[in-house]
Amino acid sequence: MDKSRIRNFCIIAHIDHGKSTLADRFLEITDTVPRQKMAEQYLDRMELERERGITIKAQAVRMQYMATDGEEYRLNLIDTPGHVDFSYEVSRSLAACEGAILLVDASQGVEAQTVGNAYLAVESGLEIVPVVNKIDLPASDFEGTAMEISDLLGIDPGEVLAVSAKTGEGARELLDAVVRRVPPPSGEADMPLRALVFDSSYDSYRGVVAFVRVVEGEVKRGMKVRFMATGVTASVDEVGYFSPDMISCPGLEAGEVGYIITGVKDVTRIKVGDTVTGREAPAAEPLPGYREPKPMVFAGVYPVDSDDFTDLNDALEKLKLNDAALSFTRENSKALGFGFRCGFLGLLHLEIVQERLEREYGLDLVVTSPNVVYEVVDRGGGVTYIRNPSDMPDMGVVKEIREPYVQATILVPPDYMGGILELVKERRGIYQDMTYLSGRRVEIRCRLPLAEIVVDFYDQLKSRSRGYASLDYEHVGFLAGNLVRLDILINGEPVDAFSIIVERSRAHEYGSRITKKLRELIPRQLFDVPVQAAVGGKVVARETIKARRKDVLAKCYGGDVTRKKKLLQKQKEGKKRMKMVGRVEIPQEAFISALRAGGEEKPR
Amino acid sequence: MSALAYDIKSSTAVVRAWGGNVKVRLYLHWPFCRSRCAYCDFNTRVASVGYQEAYRTALLAEMGMWASMLGRAGKTIRSLYLGGGTPSCMSGDETAALLSTAAERFGLEDGAEVTVEVNPATWAEDDYARAVFGGANRFSVGVQSLHDGTLRVLSRPHGAEEAMEALRAALDSGARSVGADLLYGLPAGCEGTFLDSLEKLMGLGIHHLSVYALSPGAKTPLARMAARGEVALPEDEAVAEEYLAAVEILVRRGYEHYEISNFCRPGHRCRHNLAYWRREDYLGLGAGAHSKLGGLRFWNERSLLRYLRTIGEGRLPVSGWEVVTGEEAREEMVMLGMRTSRGVSERTVSHSSGRLRELARGGLLDISGGRVKLTPRGMLVSNLLIADLLWS
Repeated sequence: MDKSRIRNFCIIAHIDHGKSTLADRFLEITDTVPRQKMAEQYLDRMELERERGITIKAQAVRMQYMATDGEEYRLNLIDTPGHVDFSYEVSRSLAACEGAILLVDASQGVEAQTVGNAYLAVESGLEIVPVVNKIDLPASDFEGTAMEISDLLGIDPGEVLAVSAKTGEGARELLDAVVRRVPPPSGEADMPLRALVFDSSYDSYRGVVAFVRVVEGEVKRGMKVRFMATGVTASVDEVGYFSPDMISCPGLEAGEVGYIITGVKDVTRIKVGDTVTGREAPAAEPLPGYREPKPMVFAGVYPVDSDDFTDLNDALEKLKLNDAALSFTRENSKALGFGFRCGFLGLLHLEIVQERLEREYGLDLVVTSPNVVYEVVDRGGGVTYIRNPSDMPDMGVVKEIREPYVQATILVPPDYMGGILELVKERRGIYQDMTYLSGRRVEIRCRLPLAEIVVDFYDQLKSRSRGYASLDYEHVGFLAGNLVRLDILINGEPVDAFSIIVERSRAHEYGSRITKKLRELIPRQLFDVPVQAAVGGKVVARETIKARRKDVLAKCYGGDVTRKKKLLQKQKEGKKRMKMVGRVEIPQEAFISALRAGGEEKPR
Repeated sequence: MSALAYDIKSSTAVVRAWGGNVKVRLYLHWPFCRSRCAYCDFNTRVASVGYQEAYRTALLAEMGMWASMLGRAGKTIRSLYLGGGTPSCMSGDETAALLSTAAERFGLEDGAEVTVEVNPATWAEDDYARAVFGGANRFSVGVQSLHDGTLRVLSRPHGAEEAMEALRAALDSGARSVGADLLYGLPAGCEGTFLDSLEKLMGLGIHHLSVYALSPGAKTPLARMAARGEVALPEDEAVAEEYLAAVEILVRRGYEHYEISNFCRPGHRCRHNLAYWRREDYLGLGAGAHSKLGGLRFWNERSLLRYLRTIGEGRLPVSGWEVVTGEEAREEMVMLGMRTSRGVSERTVSHSSGRLRELARGGLLDISGGRVKLTPRGMLVSNLLIADLLWS
């Protein structure tokens, strides 16, 4: 097809602003999916995505559109994840496009993530087609929202379109605008092949399906290719595109979007952001922007029933096939037994993985409070990265602990600004500056330790702004902090799962909260059991579980020992779920409850 | 029906289990009371004389079934225990008749212990003598307290003076041994009455004492009152102290502490009850009664109606059973044996000696001569300790 008739674009929108609904209208208008076959929100295929109303895996759909200029165009709609956890994936999806629809809910206005992604799109050189959605709603404010967008992008408010994704009103006009404003792709087909892998999925029969945007050259069935970052070579078994199902074709030329299947079975060998080139006549340089996925948030994931360890292992392996950003290594916790330390892009990623493990694999899990990765500088100047607080070396050999910071942008109506600034301060934020957007919204810029965000920052942000504030952030590297490792000791033995890295001034507060919790949760034993919180060798909080004084069945009447045996049987069952900490037997439930309760409130 | 169930109902499994054991102990259950006490959730009920008569007939029929089976094997009874409920709802003569029938049908070993449980509210002085005439040689009197106020709170059907009279009658009846039950851990307002009752009983020269912590069964009136806050039950700590005080007093006065709740003057241990802790064989007849023969445990229909109906159909009223072997037998051995002053052999508990010493240092265990037993403080937490000894 003539390149000038191709348009590659994506939709940038905040959660619930109607991206998937709009995509559904496009699929209908272009007859890509006949109306009667249209499952609600076709693009969000996974059940979980549909429930949460968010897109986890990007999709790319080819549509044929007869524009009002009388020409037929090939539109490739590349779907993007809508959450800050997946900003790298977003950037790769953007790199596969020449344009982006910026979709904003007329009743909600611009949200911080939209701003972040819109700037990202502008920086990537994309043509922005701004549009206000939900104009059918009585509460919609088209004018105000259009003003906000024009302030944000520095454009004429007249360029902002109006649409109702629900009714389809304005959708054709929007597609025409895409055809008109978004430039066609520019790469040449006679150059050596360079195709961007902007996503991948896993098919259990055929292996990895790489979603590609051919930037230059051509990829054909049977061709030998090389993935430039990983060095993996393979031959192309199948080339095709999505419409929206997979449709095989002989090849894809520069400017086109589709998929390739190479027989590679391991998703970690085909990475998002990598460049595909030909093994014969390879390109000299890969496309820019590739990065190794770097998990920033870690948590221990354990099966509640230790017999499920193998199942958890299998489930993680399977999830990993579809989620290159997920990492996991075995670990053994005294309190929780065998499990995994898993790395995630962020908290949402963690929640999605946990939910998929529980829902799709039927596992009952305990997840420890998430922690960030710490950069530890020892006295000799050596640097190590700590993913589990209990691996933190002795404070005596540590010169400095650095933690990851983010550059955060918070959008909030002026009325709630005070509360949000307060929150930023409580969370050790470094305030930078503030800009008013069209008088309706303030943009606050600050730096925050990532550790402060991963627990409940987002919930706090929402509750202190009645749901109006929104947040976007990007990682800006490590900064030193006055951090210490706090351990929880039961009967003098440290319990690894509760170790945490906290700011020194908050050690006592966290310590007394968790020791109190454990005192309530751990059943009384035959002897007194001290529960302590300690930093280094120094105890900062202490509770005592008093010994049980009376637990006896008076008699076995008339030789009826069944009641006693039932009790004994219950104790025996209970013992299976007991964890030994030194000489103290603790039901795993107590640990689980304490960990779950511990996660409810941010230690500070 | 499983093969085992069929076996039991057709009695072959029982006779087989019985086969290796020459002697057995016999328990007879009398599930009636004059009135229900406020804390009790045992298998007992208040019923008409006609109902009781029907039950008595059924019990005799059950005895007949077993006697004819066991008669073939030529077995005899080592001890006989008539419990309840309140067996003394029957007159002394009726009781004597029941005991003689049992002795006749099964054959009673010479000098066998024959116990009857008595409620002080039931018998006149001569009923005790009549029961002795029928073979009874041990009475267990459900005194619970010797204070009127306490007895009222517990809604016992007798007063303190009545209880004293019953005890005197029992002691004068010619029985070899007289025991009494007492409750401690009493509700607020009854402070001191337990230890005082204890003193009075020792003053009478009672041979045997069982002390039980008051633990109102779920849904009993007392439990409901406690839940509503109308009655205050003491804290575990206070109950524990009371128990330890009683142990100290009784031991000082020459009573042997031979089981968690049981004390006696030398030579007056209840051999029948000891059999339960020692995992000896016993046969229980009557509604809800439990039996153990070799590795087989089984129990009767608890429901009176079903019990009567099954007997009426000429079948054994067995409603459940289990075969206890291997590890489970060891668990029973520890669970039951640790209740007694004999304890269990060190080999039976699966423990590092380090943990045993630790428990001993903590004052919960006593280890000597290759045997492990509980100290009084250990007895108070025996549920925890036994689990610890079995599986740590």
